Amino acid sequence: MRRAEWVGPRVRSGVVHALAALCLGALLAGCGPREVSTGHEVVVFRHPKLFGDPAALERLFAEFERESGIRVRSETLPSASDEQHLFYAINLQAGSREFDVFALDVIWVAEFARAGWLVDLTALVPDADREDLFPGPLAAVTWNRRIYALPWFVDAGLLYYRKDLLDKHGLAPPATWQALVDAARVVTGREPGLYGFVWQGKQYEGLVCNALEFVRGQGGDLPASDAARDASLRGLAFMRALVIDGVAPPFVTTLTEEPARVIFGQGRALFLRNWPYAWQLLARDGSPVQGKIGVAALPHAPGQPAAATLGGWQLGVNVHSARPAAAARVAAFLASARAQKALALAYGYAPPRRSLYRDPALARAQPFLASLREIFETARPRPVSPHYVALSQVLQSELSGVLTGERAPAAAVRAIDRAHRELERR
Amino acid sequence: MSRARAHREAWPLVAPAGLVLVVVAAVPMLYVVWLSLHDRTVFRPPTFAGLGNYARLAADARFWNALGNTLYFTVVSVALELLLGLAIALLLARAGRLRAAAYGVMLLPWAVPTVVSARMWEWIYNAELGVLNYLAGARINWLGDPLLALHAAIAMDVWKATPFVALLLLAALQGIPRDLYRAAAVDGAGPWTTFRRVTLPLLLPVMLVAVVFRTIDALRVFDAIYVLTGGGPANGTETLSIYAYKILFQTLDFGYGSALAVVVLAVTAVAAAAYARALRGGAE
Repeated sequence: MRRAEWVGPRVRSGVVHALAALCLGALLAGCGPREVSTGHEVVVFRHPKLFGDPAALERLFAEFERESGIRVRSETLPSASDEQHLFYAINLQAGSREFDVFALDVIWVAEFARAGWLVDLTALVPDADREDLFPGPLAAVTWNRRIYALPWFVDAGLLYYRKDLLDKHGLAPPATWQALVDAARVVTGREPGLYGFVWQGKQYEGLVCNALEFVRGQGGDLPASDAARDASLRGLAFMRALVIDGVAPPFVTTLTEEPARVIFGQGRALFLRNWPYAWQLLARDGSPVQGKIGVAALPHAPGQPAAATLGGWQLGVNVHSARPAAAARVAAFLASARAQKALALAYGYAPPRRSLYRDPALARAQPFLASLREIFETARPRPVSPHYVALSQVLQSELSGVLTGERAPAAAVRAIDRAHRELERR
Repeated sequence: MSRARAHREAWPLVAPAGLVLVVVAAVPMLYVVWLSLHDRTVFRPPTFAGLGNYARLAADARFWNALGNTLYFTVVSVALELLLGLAIALLLARAGRLRAAAYGVMLLPWAVPTVVSARMWEWIYNAELGVLNYLAGARINWLGDPLLALHAAIAMDVWKATPFVALLLLAALQGIPRDLYRAAAVDGAGPWTTFRRVTLPLLLPVMLVAVVFRTIDALRVFDAIYVLTGGGPANGTETLSIYAYKILFQTLDFGYGSALAVVVLAVTAVAAAAYARALRGGAE
């Protein structure tokens, strides 16, 4: 018995097919679905570890199996983003059939689509779904006008603020970047030992997300179009000024998500830029800032839209899958409103569908998530490009250069645009 | 048995070991060289590119920055390790009973896995809560400023590798016959002259060996800096190996990344060859 288990799925799937054929015969002969449960097609689903009780995901798969006859076997990825990317690249390039459906970070879809590793899933997204999905995730999964992955969870940058301190000094949560700077000056001037604004300024992917929010909040973009160049320069100059003027501490150039969250969580900063995950940690029992914090959309320049950077996970189907039809059904099921609602309830991941934010059960169980609808609505993906990973390395070093004063904003924008043009030619 | 026959019979005996070497060392190395002559990304099958990747390197400011960082890191850290290692070895040679205890304490930095010590140093350098700023009574942004960060990385490497150099030199010091020192004393040589005329010349070959080991390690430095800073800020700590890693394992541009790896190999080989020459020269 042990041995049979060890030999594992590959051998078993042969047996499974034989059984399936037998049962098909049996079905025709009037055998009920209960008796065929061992004859189900198996689809392997690769995804990052979900933080919470794994039983919720298993229940969802069990439900799906009862309805569809397709069994989903779920396998988790390594935890570091680089390793996940490498895992997929190595396996997909080698034509691996070890997994059929897989979760992708929002920044990989165009790359994998261009490499020919993803099944075109445009047909799985009817017009009704297109209208239901937030525009950011939909743009992130679209490459050359085709849809290569289904949005699964969304993530977006938020502004966390100390409600108690703003109230104490008669201030409102800032809607514009200038208001944030002014509020930070006033409050840190009167509260010794308090930092104004902490965010992610270390040279890594998080800096790209933060900097795009500064730049897009001024109406600019990176890479910058000619029309947006001046606004982009203003955004970068603003980012640098945060450090020069002491609104952000100098060591913001070393901060990633968690160190920034910890400083704010210890009550040592007025404002924090972070993802929605931080809420639970900041608002839980025992947190020094419990009950003292609020969340708002990130500020922007007057007359410009707020522009949080989009994160999150999408579902793709492996082009080499031996069971493409079943795999597509699994992807569609996991991306359905029903599955997303169940996962939002169990794990607190934010669904990419507008309709779920009107769902009373979800609003009751996850009031924080439900309050973020407007922010997800306007969240924008990082540049959707098959060369994003390479472009990001340039963005990271140039942005870090601007932040540390090594690079003038104009030189950085030129270098980013040049790198972008060179990459697109390749 | 004739010499020729002995050689003939030796071949089959050496062959398995030779084969292992070829498979684990030569084949991957040649494969990297072969890759570096091709355009190979995840998007396309490989096409021959000749020296195209190397031409790209020559025009790549990021490559020159990484090369500069690597050479600066190597020269400064190896020089400091040699000087400090020598000083510690000379002290320990006179330490008498304390020596055994000193050995243990000194070996600690060398024994701690690099990734662990890099994490530890990340905290030591923490601008807000780090012990270094606490002792200095300052708020120095050690890892958040490009130039400071590179020197912080050098200091970490010196902390880790100095014990290795010191132990190597201490062993050599203990091998110098006492008679030579007595003879020097009889001739009226002071401590400085004794050091210059007796100790230093006899230590030189071992110093060269220590420098070879340290240089080769420093030229390839990856894990310590990757964990400490990830190559930032502003690519101020990006070494050739970190650059090659990012191209090979993140952007998956295998041809260009291999060209970078070949440059690391070439720089290391040149350094090793230069030292080997010096060692031979010293031995004659």
